[in-house]
Amino acid sequence: MRTGLGSQLAALIGLLVLWEVGVRVFGVAPHNMPTASAVFRDMAGNMDLIGRGVVRTLSETIIGFVIGATIGFVFGSAFAVSRTLERLLFPLFIVSQAIPVIAFGALVVMWLGNDIWSKVAIAAYLTAFPVTVNTCRGMQAVDPQRVALLRSFGAGPWALFWRLRVPYALPSIAAALKLGISLGLIGAIVGEWFGDTVGLGIMLLQAMYNENLPRMWALILVCGAIGILLYAAFEAIERRWIWWKQEI
Amino acid sequence: MIDLREKQGPKRIAALAVCISILAALGAAPNQASAQETVSVRLKWLAQAQFAGLYVAKAKGYYTAEGLNLTINPGGPNLNAESLVASGADTFAVGGGTEASLASRDKKLPIVTLGMLHQRTPVVMVVLEDSPIQKIQDFKGKKITSFFTGLQHTVTAMLTNQGMSPSDYSLTAQAVSMTPFINRETDVAMVTLYNELNVLKARGVKVRIFAPDDYGVSVPRDSLITSEKMIAEKPKAVQGFMNATLRGWKYAIKNQSEALDIVMAAAPGLERGHQTLMLQEVGKLMLADTGTTEGLGALNMPRLKAAHDMLLNAKVLSGPVDFNTAFDLKFWNAVPAADKKM
Repeated sequence: MRTGLGSQLAALIGLLVLWEVGVRVFGVAPHNMPTASAVFRDMAGNMDLIGRGVVRTLSETIIGFVIGATIGFVFGSAFAVSRTLERLLFPLFIVSQAIPVIAFGALVVMWLGNDIWSKVAIAAYLTAFPVTVNTCRGMQAVDPQRVALLRSFGAGPWALFWRLRVPYALPSIAAALKLGISLGLIGAIVGEWFGDTVGLGIMLLQAMYNENLPRMWALILVCGAIGILLYAAFEAIERRWIWWKQEI
Repeated sequence: MIDLREKQGPKRIAALAVCISILAALGAAPNQASAQETVSVRLKWLAQAQFAGLYVAKAKGYYTAEGLNLTINPGGPNLNAESLVASGADTFAVGGGTEASLASRDKKLPIVTLGMLHQRTPVVMVVLEDSPIQKIQDFKGKKITSFFTGLQHTVTAMLTNQGMSPSDYSLTAQAVSMTPFINRETDVAMVTLYNELNVLKARGVKVRIFAPDDYGVSVPRDSLITSEKMIAEKPKAVQGFMNATLRGWKYAIKNQSEALDIVMAAAPGLERGHQTLMLQEVGKLMLADTGTTEGLGALNMPRLKAAHDMLLNAKVLSGPVDFNTAFDLKFWNAVPAADKKM
């Protein structure tokens, strides 16, 4: 693990050096690609601004993720338990994913207004789907013989659910959570495109339309770093607490 | 049991006090609402100096003085200010401008235009200084890009006036970035006077300008709009919005540095140098022509009619738009001269 991290860091630094040298040697115009040093200078000079953006976007992501994951878990479990519910509602979940977030975003602003909740809603919307699918499929994959066995010991539906289905589905739910948190971050950033003054998404737009390329790359790197950290956090949680695989 | 009650006593009193204060707050709310009308204004774009007048009016308490509790909602690339006002999600908006106002009426949206901030077309066509294109006739056979937000019709009309038909040149949608133009992938590009032109200047790119207004096409933009419902039900709030907004603009144009402080405080991600130039250009556009003779935000009706006929000709509008319902001059007329005349 530790050697892995070391070589990863070395690779990252190598890439940055390659970027810096490449841009300089080939004389790439700054409006096509700024140097790595210009990007880091911009980042260092605007720490408080970027920091404020990070706090805002991260809050939207995490609140949206918690809501979306809860919705996903509840509906995924309901679909796993009731075939009727699954037939009735699951197609709606699939349809919802076919609607581009951009189309949906304008509606969210009309319904929820312009504050943090419209961004949270979009983050939750993107998070909910993978969690629903994996919760449902994970629980449906439970071996019927185990269900029969627990029933024979007198387990009721709640005991079956919490003692068998949930633990059995947890590894696949955990996989969905890792996907969901990344999607939540994208949702928060896109959500800010529907009107705001603070946040990484809005800063990206400002940089894009004012053609401030060092800032744009600085923000792309920050968004990437947040994405990696969130993913790594869930990876760590999974390794620590959900160590078993589906074949319990 | 008795012990428990004794312990709960103070808590109950505290809970009761909280309940009473909540009830009191609820009771007070309607009173406050009748004194202050809660409204919102949607911007056509991100918070920036293009909207300085509104941020100044808010910061200086001009809206509050008119009895309005106003929220400024920034726009973005995927939002349409006209639809948000038509749906009631926002009370007012700084909308797209002439094309957007007329197109909304054409689509039967209950949108009414109260004023127009930019008195001239705020976009111009540019070619690189060393380009062989010297005069507008040289656009023939060239690659032209334009924002496709309705502004492409301005380009077409401008060239039609010069005897060119759309088959004489190629007109395609322009990307966000000016880089393709700088890299000579296109011959002619469109820039707003207050944003992209400054981006080019900042990069040291020298250009020649062809302004639609010099070729017989003038499309005023950045409209102040509201819904028919607001005009019918709350004309006082509409008047207050117009008074405060124009007063804010007058102050912003006269005190640009202070106005920029206010804008930068509202949207801290902005770059001050760029915003300074933006405010200067927007100020010029607002004071052009009727902006000075009549006052800020004036509706130049002959100019709007000409733009309407151009859009009708281009078949952008399905039929003539009734100007009596699309525009309402009474609110602008009632704005005190001190608020709108420089």
